[in-house]
This record gives sequence, C-alpha cells and structure tokens, in this order.
Amino acid sequence: MNIFYILIVPVILAILPAIVKRPRALGIINATGHLLVLSGFTVFILKADLPVSLFKLFYIDALSAFFIFTIAIVTFATALFSIDYIERDVASSLISRNKARAYYTLFNLFSLSMFLVPMAPNLAMVWIAIEMTTLTSAFLVGFYNTKTSIEAAWKYIMICSVGIIFALFGTIIFYYAASLVGVKSLNWLDLVSAGPGMDKNLIKIAFLFILVGYGTKAGLAPMHTWLPDAHSQAISPVSALLSGVLLKTAVYAILRFTIITNKCIGVDFSSKLFIIFALVSLAVSAGFIIIQKHMKRLLAYSSIEHVGIIFLGFGFGGAIGAYGALFHTLNHAVTKSLMFLGAANIIKKYKKDNMNMIKGVVSSMPFTGAMFTLGMFAIIGMPPFSIFFSELLILMAGFGRGLYLASGLYLFFIALIFGGMLFHFSKVLFGEKPDDMEVSKESASAKIVFIFLFVIAIILGLAMPAFLNKIIVSGVAILEGV
Amino acid sequence: MYIFLIGIIIMAYPMVTAKRITSLINSFRIQSAFLFLATLFMAIKEKNPELYIISGLLLLLKVILIPGFLSSIVKKVKMNENIGLFLNPLVSLLIAVFLTYLSYVFTTRILAFESKAQVVSFAISLSVTMIGLFIMIFRMKALSQVIGFLVMENGLFLAASVLAGGMPFFVEIVIFMDVFVSVIIFGMFIYRINKLFTHIDVSKLNALKR
Repeated sequence: MNIFYILIVPVILAILPAIVKRPRALGIINATGHLLVLSGFTVFILKADLPVSLFKLFYIDALSAFFIFTIAIVTFATALFSIDYIERDVASSLISRNKARAYYTLFNLFSLSMFLVPMAPNLAMVWIAIEMTTLTSAFLVGFYNTKTSIEAAWKYIMICSVGIIFALFGTIIFYYAASLVGVKSLNWLDLVSAGPGMDKNLIKIAFLFILVGYGTKAGLAPMHTWLPDAHSQAISPVSALLSGVLLKTAVYAILRFTIITNKCIGVDFSSKLFIIFALVSLAVSAGFIIIQKHMKRLLAYSSIEHVGIIFLGFGFGGAIGAYGALFHTLNHAVTKSLMFLGAANIIKKYKKDNMNMIKGVVSSMPFTGAMFTLGMFAIIGMPPFSIFFSELLILMAGFGRGLYLASGLYLFFIALIFGGMLFHFSKVLFGEKPDDMEVSKESASAKIVFIFLFVIAIILGLAMPAFLNKIIVSGVAILEGV
Repeated sequence: MYIFLIGIIIMAYPMVTAKRITSLINSFRIQSAFLFLATLFMAIKEKNPELYIISGLLLLLKVILIPGFLSSIVKKVKMNENIGLFLNPLVSLLIAVFLTYLSYVFTTRILAFESKAQVVSFAISLSVTMIGLFIMIFRMKALSQVIGFLVMENGLFLAASVLAGGMPFFVEIVIFMDVFVSVIIFGMFIYRINKLFTHIDVSKLNALKR
C-alpha cells in the first residue's frame, strides 16, 4: 500500500506559501492537509499488514506506525489551532504576512522531518531525520526574533547539536561492532539479527553515547537544560509540537538501539540506565514545577517529568511496562498538546506568562478555561483520563519486578507534581478576573482542537480502541525482541 | 599516516589556548587540512574512488568554504576579536592534555582493538571530540561554540573513517551536507544575535533562568 502521502503532503504544504498569500487560506489548507494525513494513516493501520517496506527507503512496522500515528494526531491538532492563532498574530501586527507564510513552510518542514524519523529503515537515516528536526524547529523557537526567543533558540541548537554528535558517535560504534561480526549494514533489522554476536563492551559504550546523545533531544535530565527555554519561547502551537511529539521521536530512536543492545547484552544494562535517568528527570522536574512562575515553563518541566515516566516504563520493562510506556507516549502527546494550546490562548488573552499575574481564566474565557481545567486533571493523572491508566500500568510493572524503591520514588515524585500543578493552575484558573478584562469570543478552530484532543484523552481512558491496542501490543513484541 | 593523525591532535591544542577568534579559525582550517590529507592518503592507499570524493569534499567544505564563511562573519559583525575565556590558556591546555590522556586510557583499557593504528586513531578522534566539547562549553563567543562543534565533528569523522573503514558512502555525503547546512544556520543565528544584542557573547545571554 502506498503511504508516501505522509511525506508528500507536508512537502506540498511547505511549498504552498509561495503561491497562496493569505494567512487564513494557508492555515485552512494546511489543516486540511494534515487531516488527510491523519485519516489516511488511520485507515492504513486499520487495514495494512505490518511491517511494510517501501523500496528499501522506508520501513514501517508496528512500533514506527504507532509513533507516526501519534505525530499525525498532534500535527493535525496544531495545524488546526494555527489557523486562528497565526491570523490573530498578523492582525495584531505581531508578525508580518510574509512571516506568517514562513511559519507554514517551517511548520511543514518540521513535521516532515518528524514523520521521517519513525519511517527511516536504518540508524543513519534516523540520525539525519532527527538532526533535521533540530535545524527546522530552531527557527520556530526563535520565531518572534525577540532577545529571549533568540537566546532560547541558540541554546537549543547548540546543546542539541552536541547531543546529536554523541548520538552519531554511538551510531558509528554500533556500525563498527556489527562490521566486526561481518554485518556491514546500518539497517536496524540486520543489526538486531547480528546483535547476539557483537562485542559486549563496545555495545555498552555505544549505547551510553546513544542514550546521552538522543537523551539530550528527548529531554532527559540532566541533559534537559535547553528544553524549558525552547518550549517556553517557541511560538505556542510549536511548543505543543515540541513537547508532544518532538521529544518522542528521540525516544523512538533510543528504543531502536535498545532492541539491539538488549539482544547483545540482555535487558539489565539498558533497564538500569533508563530507571536512573528517569528518576533524575522526575526529581528535577518535580523541584522546578513547585517553584515555577511561568506557565509555559511549568508545562515544559512537566514534559521532562513525562519523558521520565516513559523511560521508567521501558526501564521497568516486561510486557506491562513497555505497554504502559508506549501508551503513555500517546497519552502525554495528546494531553500536553491540549495544555500547551490552552496556555497559548490564555497567554494571548492576558498578554503575560507569569502565573502570579493571571487570575480568573474560567470566568474570562469560559471555554478555554473549562478545557484547561479538564486538561489539568488529565495531565496530573486523575481517572478517568488516559494518563492515569498508563501511569498505573507502569507502577504495576515496577511492583511486578519487585523494584519497590524505584516505584516508591516514582509515586512520591508524581504526588509532588500533582500537588504543585494543582496549586499553580488553580490560582490561574479560578478567582476574580481582572476588572478591565472583557469576556471575548474565543477562536472557533481552537475550540474544535480542544474538543478533539479532549475526546481522545477520555476515549483512551475509558476504552482502548481495538486497532490501537493491536498496534501497541505488536510494538511491545518488537521491543521485547520476539 | 601517523603524521597526519598527530597533526590533527596537535592542532587541537592551539585552539584551546587561542585568545583571538581569527587564530581559532586558522587552527581549525589547518586541522581540517590534516584530516583531508589523512583521508587522501587512505584513498591513494586503498585506491578507493569514494574516498577520493570524500577527501575532495573535506577540502572544499572544511578547509575552504566553512572557515571562509566564519571569517566573513567575523568581519561583518565587527566583533571584538577577543574570545573570552572562562579558563585561562594554561589551565585549558592542561585540561586538554588530560582529556587526550583519558581518551587513550579509555581506548586501551576498555575497547579491544586489534591493531595499533586503530587504537591510536580512535584515541585521537575521541580526544579531539572531547576537546571540541571543551571549547563549546568554556568559550564565551557564539562563534567559538560553532568552531567547537566543528572540531567535535572532525573527531567524529576521523572515528568513522578510520574505525569502521568509513560509513556507507551515501551516509557520509549526507553528513557532510548536514554539517554545511548546520554551519549556515548557526551563522544566521549569529547574525540575529548580533543584531539584537549588539554582541555575540553567549555568556551574557542569561535572561532565561529556571
């Protein structure tokens, strides 16, 4: 089956701003295009027999399909949200019309590069695609060209470039280790089958390089320092993309290497490393969330927390842990996008990001306020939202393996974050709105996006759709190396 | 062959001690030239046409175009030539030598290579990568960070070509393109930083905290 449209649609949409001049028209076409990608890909995973290989250029198995699906959901949601958001930025002459066109080009180059990551058949292509995501999104982080946003973009591009160099070093050592046992290939299937014979020391070192390198991009502490700056300074729809899916593409890359590593030296090595990095990330994010003043920075630290939880799931391992971690990847992508886009509306309305100065969101913007409240409950892990269930699965995996200390710390940190987020956001959401602030009409495209994301978060919590369950289960099987 | 490898590592030290951005760029240019010679030497030895192309690209990009582009940035942003050192040259040099020693110990103790040539070249490439990282962290100017990145990339390239006998040809070409595009994008950001802040001193970019 031909699924080149996943790549062709973003390419066309990236060129389109050269022809179409009006920001609104561009936005609508952009959102339609991404809706086509999302619905087309959903049909594809309903029908197709995975894995699918296309001319040796692309390779899609259940694991990559799952990540593509996640990316498609979030890109569609942000594309739809961008319509009104960008139009308002142009109307308030925050950006010029040309800049709005540049936004749509960059948006699509960025989403194209993210789609390429899980489709890449070999480890070098994954590296190239991840590098592309950095280069394209750096412009979106520095989009407003203010001092703070350029500072954030510079830190982002520098720190992630160092990370990507480490990742390439790791990739090269993997290649060398494979070539020692006669496999001159970067194709990850070949490497998996060559896994058992490879030199154990080499693989350990290579995996460390990979974990530190791609872990920088994934936002694992202590390599996370670029993340709060970049996420808080980026143009808001892009913050949702960065947090929702960009981090996950790096997670995906690490997973591919983990499969090979586990084949070679067993699961203990990667599992221990994952748990350590995950707990450090949880600790760091918990601390910064509690003392945080800025809304988008708070959400950014919460992303570090959730990446930590995802790695904890893979670290605890077993079918339950890996299932929980994959499930959490999707849940976090959906819920965090909802939060970032909600925050985008709030910050636009109040014209400030400091949570001490924002009050009464529920009364000043009833719809966004209500959705943000629900999103808050979802992100801190209240039932019946989906994050609760994936966090529970991960906890079960931890207890199941008898890792009581790690599981206990995990519970402790999410309880802290639960309290911190509730404290900060309830101040923002409730209370009296400023006297001079009027209740204005809220953007229609944003409303649809909020409902779309919210419905997904609640459906995933109540009943897992069969097709998604199937794809996650086969993804877990790939991770386990069955 | 060894003389080129030694040239690559030797040129890393003046970069650590350099106080002026132009001398940093020049040292980088010479290091890249040694890397080019090493690759050309291998190409001649192995009569490998792909290696000829790669060494040609090295010469074009890393010896001519990228240093030239960086020099033109130095002229255009009219920057203060002083790099701005967090650590004085002597300490930096000691650290760089120590990093080289560490890389050697790491390579001999942990990695089991068959040939002496592989040990030497891997130790050198690792230490060049680490020194590049050191330059990125401990130098204040945005441009010196870019050069640190490029030095890291030189070390990496050496590891790839000597260790694994080169990555697949296609991959090498794409990595070249990537480095080139990265440098251009870095340059664009340096112009923007210079325009907004009227300097490119990264240590003064500290509005974003916590």
